[in-house]
Amino acid sequence: MKVFRFTSSLLVTIVLIFLLNNSWLIGGSRIPPLGKFLDPFEGFWQNAESDDSNVFTKLDIPGLKDSVTIEFDSLMIPHIFASNDEDLYLAQGYVTAMHRLWQMEFQTHAAAGRVSEVIGAGPNDRILNFDRSQRRLGMVYGAEQTLGSMNADPLSKMMVEQYSKGINAYIESLTYKTLPFEYKLLDYEPEAWSPLKCALLLKNMSQTLNMSDKDIEMTNALKLFGKDMLDLLYPDNEGVGDPIVDNTGQWKFKPITIDTVPSALPQELINIARKIPGSDPNNGSNNWAVGGSKTATGSPILCGDPHLDLSLPSIWYALQLHAPGINVMGASLPGAPGVIIGFNDSIAWSVTNAQRDLVDWYKIQFTDASKSKYILDGKTLNTKKVVEAYNVRGTEIFYDTVLYTSWGPVTYDESFHNNGHEYYSFRWIAHEKSDEVLAFYKLNRGRNHADYMEALNYFSMPAQNFVFASVSGDIAMRIQGKYPVRRKEEGKFVLDGSKSSSGWQAFIPNEQNVMYKNPARGFVSSANQFPADPTYPYYITGKNFEAYRNRRINQVLQQSQNISVEDMMKLQSDNFNLKASECLPVFLTHLDSTSFTTEELTAYRILKGWDFINNKESLGASYFEAWWTNLMPMIWDEMDDEKYALSRPTSYVTIKLIREKPDLAFFDIRKTPEKETVTDVLRKSFSAGVLRIGEWISDQSKKPGNESLAISHQPVWGAYKDSYMRHLLRIEPLNIHVNAGGNSGIVNAHSQTNGPSWRMVVSLEKSGIKAWGVYPGGQSGNPGSIHYSDMIERWTNGKHFSLSFMKQPSNRNTQMQLTPVSK
Amino acid sequence: MKFFLQLMLIALLAYLLEFLLPWYSLAIAAFAVSLAVQSKSNFMAGFLGIGLLWFIAAWVIDSNTASGLAERVALILPVQNKILLMLLGAVLAALIGGFAAVAGASLRKEKRKW
Repeated sequence: MKVFRFTSSLLVTIVLIFLLNNSWLIGGSRIPPLGKFLDPFEGFWQNAESDDSNVFTKLDIPGLKDSVTIEFDSLMIPHIFASNDEDLYLAQGYVTAMHRLWQMEFQTHAAAGRVSEVIGAGPNDRILNFDRSQRRLGMVYGAEQTLGSMNADPLSKMMVEQYSKGINAYIESLTYKTLPFEYKLLDYEPEAWSPLKCALLLKNMSQTLNMSDKDIEMTNALKLFGKDMLDLLYPDNEGVGDPIVDNTGQWKFKPITIDTVPSALPQELINIARKIPGSDPNNGSNNWAVGGSKTATGSPILCGDPHLDLSLPSIWYALQLHAPGINVMGASLPGAPGVIIGFNDSIAWSVTNAQRDLVDWYKIQFTDASKSKYILDGKTLNTKKVVEAYNVRGTEIFYDTVLYTSWGPVTYDESFHNNGHEYYSFRWIAHEKSDEVLAFYKLNRGRNHADYMEALNYFSMPAQNFVFASVSGDIAMRIQGKYPVRRKEEGKFVLDGSKSSSGWQAFIPNEQNVMYKNPARGFVSSANQFPADPTYPYYITGKNFEAYRNRRINQVLQQSQNISVEDMMKLQSDNFNLKASECLPVFLTHLDSTSFTTEELTAYRILKGWDFINNKESLGASYFEAWWTNLMPMIWDEMDDEKYALSRPTSYVTIKLIREKPDLAFFDIRKTPEKETVTDVLRKSFSAGVLRIGEWISDQSKKPGNESLAISHQPVWGAYKDSYMRHLLRIEPLNIHVNAGGNSGIVNAHSQTNGPSWRMVVSLEKSGIKAWGVYPGGQSGNPGSIHYSDMIERWTNGKHFSLSFMKQPSNRNTQMQLTPVSK
Repeated sequence: MKFFLQLMLIALLAYLLEFLLPWYSLAIAAFAVSLAVQSKSNFMAGFLGIGLLWFIAAWVIDSNTASGLAERVALILPVQNKILLMLLGAVLAALIGGFAAVAGASLRKEKRKW
């Protein structure tokens, strides 16, 4: 009996331990190892940081030459004081990993197509397909090119190696107890960091910003609608507002010309329906600098706010780097050494995305169905077959063969989204060699305009509009990137891959890029609009150029004098909806108010009295946006083709067509028997928008906790938009919802999941630089820290934090001392 | 009285072992203590010793943080709220503690017979 009791209870104990020490898939979702995970002494509870954890720590770090002092201010921003460059970047790696290790690794896994290793293939292989698309775009291939360039230069090699060492020192110090939360939740462990991961992270940014791809869509549109309609729907330049740089007649250089014959415009339909999404068109940005002639202090003010996915942990990590020869502060990217957007004692800079076409697709002529050979310039060449292996969690290894020609990977084939028999190789600027790390090394140490110019010569991608201001009084703008020289219409459509003359034959020399300094108007600005005036000698095309934010910013800056820092902060959170102000009065004239329902009449009155400001309390903004989001798919239903990828024209073009071409065939809704006019489509989308708002109101009252409250749910914009910062794992309880105004196309470009990811204002005063910054998140990536989200409230309310730019450690805050390991 | 002694010793040893060993060392604690000290209800001594230890430890951590992590984890798993989350962990660990205590106690009595 006792023997039985002993064995059975021992067995139950062991089985329970086994069950609770492992992670299980239950109904498709992964349950963490509950015993391990819920253990208060080592499990996730240990990630709940005590609120008063301000203690002095001293750590032995292998690889340091000298000791490094890191002071954390009240926002947990580290101010790193080192006595040499090597230690500086090692400490940056260490402290960034301390706050953001999981994010850094996850983002580089995403870049490299390795997410399925961590979370499995996903429902309908969604995650595995994401991984496959990353590798089929040649992300790892591009990162290896970048790694090669970084290793070729002693400075950038030192930076990425020291930075990696710092990250690895942190990884090696971890135990299960100290492992970041997400590793415990998903039950896996970090692997060693390497410089390749720094390169992957930079490729990730290139993908976020410089992979706007329209070639296949334009080719299909050309075939389906003809050239005249294509030019009407998708003009290269919408001709709206000022270009970023207006240097009319002053481009005094001899441009490169290409003498071979360009390929003819293609006449084909490409049967690739589900294309890999390109860069999100909401990823834009604002930046500007006003010269001393327009400011109250007489010194330049520089402002910047890059618009990106509002993710948690945040894209940016703020810090200060101080060592002999460098004192720089600003936003860094977890995973890359140096400061990306910021300021030092003498200069400040920020970036917006340059919307240039840096993607091409080349049609390949394979010699037979085996696709082992293809034709180029009349010669037969061998295709390279690369077998990609995916260690999908919970199943066996998945193998995928990707073909490469000399142009690049054949992204779509029978096994991946291609339903036709035509094949195209993908050529992307991010496949080129580049060394951005070196550009930031130099820019971080820049003293003046000449240093900024020199530093940017090393910057190739992602192509950016670099705004600049200096304490000495200069302001400047430079649209820097590596741009292929294109002939008219080249790059807009798929190209003939059987002739090398279709390829990129030259790049625009750095000194011929679009740029200027101290223009007469007293300010420089960019907001992703068309870059240059028509006299710029190179052909420019891009998927989309911005039409509204840039005009609003320029209008305000043009009118302003005696500008203060507060004025600039106000402009960064400006909610004026220029698009609505231009189109809504026209739209309203199309409505026949006699046929309104009660709800429609209310909506009409609200819209009629609206001031075009997308504040969070605004009702008009909600009705307008609901109308707009129904209008676009109704007009452009022709573009939602299941077989052939097509894209919708921009908002600006759509509004222009509504005004000027009311008879355009596209206003007809295909699935209805009658033939709609522009008035009909406006009327129908208005009704649909009002219905949508009605649904929203009734959904609100059904939400748990709301039904008992006898409050009426007003569809105010902040509540209706329901914007949120989204955790990278897209697990709802880790997201943070906010009530805020703005929207895309507005200076405060805060849409539901995208917006100003870092707002910075720098006043470059001779008595010392002053700077303010804020971002939608917090320094810590740990959801168990109050610093996970402590900047969100101020960010939501359009307020900034004053950044403390220190000369030496103040000994007033929490400090950490990193010391070399004594051997 | 012996019951409380057994319970307290299990909790204490489990607490100490966590500094050196993984979470399941709680089974060693319940087993070893019950080998030395038995009571009328070995299972309850193990169950409560471990369960209370885990519940109180989680409670203390949670009361020192404003981060709201426990609420978030409760929604992820999903259990309704953080108190249920604390109970979930405590009960799962307590079961192991209970069975390990029974195993330890039965081994001891068995030996005495031999």
